[in-house]
Amino acid sequence: MKLTQGIKMAWLSVRSQPLRTLLTVLGILIGVASVTIMVAIGNGTSEQVKSQLQGLGTNMLTVNVVGRGAVTSIKTADVKDLTDVANVASYAPNISGNVTAKSGTNTYSATVNATTPSFLEIRDYHLAQGRPLMDIDGTFKMKVAVIGSEVATELKLSDPVGSKISLNGTPYKIVGVLASKGSTTNGSSDNVVLVPLETARVVLKTDAIRTIYVQADSEKHVGGVQTQLEAKLQQFFRGDDNSYNVFNQQDLLETITSVSTSVSTLLTYVAAISLLVGGIGVMNMMLVSVTERTREIGIRKSLGAKQRDILFQFLVEASIIGGLGGVAGVIVGAGGSKFVGQMMNSPASPSWEIMTIAVVFSMGVGVLFGFLPARRASRLHPVEALRQ
Amino acid sequence: MRALNAEPLIAMTDIYKTYTLAGETLNALDGISLDVYQGDFMAIVGPSGSGKSTLMNVLGCLDTPSQGQYRLDGAEVARLSDNKLANIRNTKIGFIFQSFHLLPRLSAIDNVELPLVYRGMSAKERHALAKEALQKVGLGDRMRHMPNQLSGGQQQRVAIARALAGRPPLLLADEPTGALDSKTSQDVIELLKALNEEGNTIVLITHDPKVADQAKRVVRIQDGRLSEERSAAS
Repeated sequence: MKLTQGIKMAWLSVRSQPLRTLLTVLGILIGVASVTIMVAIGNGTSEQVKSQLQGLGTNMLTVNVVGRGAVTSIKTADVKDLTDVANVASYAPNISGNVTAKSGTNTYSATVNATTPSFLEIRDYHLAQGRPLMDIDGTFKMKVAVIGSEVATELKLSDPVGSKISLNGTPYKIVGVLASKGSTTNGSSDNVVLVPLETARVVLKTDAIRTIYVQADSEKHVGGVQTQLEAKLQQFFRGDDNSYNVFNQQDLLETITSVSTSVSTLLTYVAAISLLVGGIGVMNMMLVSVTERTREIGIRKSLGAKQRDILFQFLVEASIIGGLGGVAGVIVGAGGSKFVGQMMNSPASPSWEIMTIAVVFSMGVGVLFGFLPARRASRLHPVEALRQ
Repeated sequence: MRALNAEPLIAMTDIYKTYTLAGETLNALDGISLDVYQGDFMAIVGPSGSGKSTLMNVLGCLDTPSQGQYRLDGAEVARLSDNKLANIRNTKIGFIFQSFHLLPRLSAIDNVELPLVYRGMSAKERHALAKEALQKVGLGDRMRHMPNQLSGGQQQRVAIARALAGRPPLLLADEPTGALDSKTSQDVIELLKALNEEGNTIVLITHDPKVADQAKRVVRIQDGRLSEERSAAS
């Protein structure tokens, strides 16, 4: 029997029981759709985590001074010595604190980072307007500030560059505005005010450096730089390694990625179980169908259908049901992942590749679960089948 | 009419069909020998339980005998595999059943084409042969009708067309008038007689003496044994 003929026959019988076919297709649909959605969410989440962490800066290590023990802070003079290790591209000491920023009658609570010019590059900030901080601003303790886009918006500054804001009462001149970076895992990156490190005592009432951002010259040197930094810090803090830590962003990225991968793998397995249940639905329907159509099988056999003809007919039927469920499931799954992607604000979109695999796979599920019923049908004895 | 030394179309020799029920053996066919020649129109009569259906199943290659030889159209078929038997049914035998056995979801012509589908014929060839067969049984104008749109007599004629379409050497009819009223029954018998006149070999199984009377030859089966009632030669 030819394939077209087989498909025609199978289609006729699939169509003859529309409700039953629909319900069985629904089983496969739910399975395929949930697998598609879960895979898309998994991909979307790890993409999101990756892009957010990369937004913090590339090849970056963060030295944090915890503030316990004999030595509780680092002075500006110590920074140069501490970061004098191989493969360091640049570094930026940073003192941060919360201040009330005020412009006219508008006030806003902002995070001030008193730092050096290299901060921008290390933390992957870009200027939207004006100029960055410069070394000369530090040398002359200039009261200049570069503000984040959120600060500019909240203080309703229509033309911020050149205007003044007051930070905890001290007037600063705005020289630049940063381009928006959006939110990261650490909250908004746009609620910042950058001022020269040397003016920290004025605004933040302290000049104790608690953070140094260090950028390695390449990704493969990040680990080496971390080891060297830790050695220097241990010496500096006289062996008290509770007083400081060196935070490696790459480690965090890997941890979060591996967590999100295992969560999405787990979810995909759970979704795969629903596909299995859908497959059992196909098998159940095909078994009922074979029982109901025993006489048809007998008639076909009496007219010369061989075992393989009957087997083929029922397998085609099962794979049509599987295929229909697969196509519908992919459509629902694509829509569902778009929806979930929007809710999670992540780019969860399944690939064509995944969709094709899903359709072929669900046809395979149809064939797999249709095989037992089809074989049962093909082995019926014509005399007994006709007696029904 | 036939050459004396011609090989019979059906040559059964000492056919047994034995069933074992609760330890007891039962010979549904108890040593049957039967020759049917090309062009015969033979009726097999017998009460129910006589082994009539078993004989029909063995004759139609739907079932194999427990013992004995059965040559059909020059080939031994008593001990063939399922798939080989399917092939024999497809090419050598046209079945006509009591309850028509049409597939309800297929139109008249699709039903008639079905045995040709299993022969692997092209759609064009199938259509031509099926159309010819339907025209022969007088249903050329109802080819696209579904079985439930046809009367009982028309359905049986579709079934006869299906049996004829592949031009098999043997037409095997199992109580072909059992589900029809007497007027329609007579029409179907007339059609079978006409087909026989054209050279088709027909074996008909019936319990109805009025139907059997119209065959050229009648054999009776009783307790799994055959006896000649009326021979074509006589």
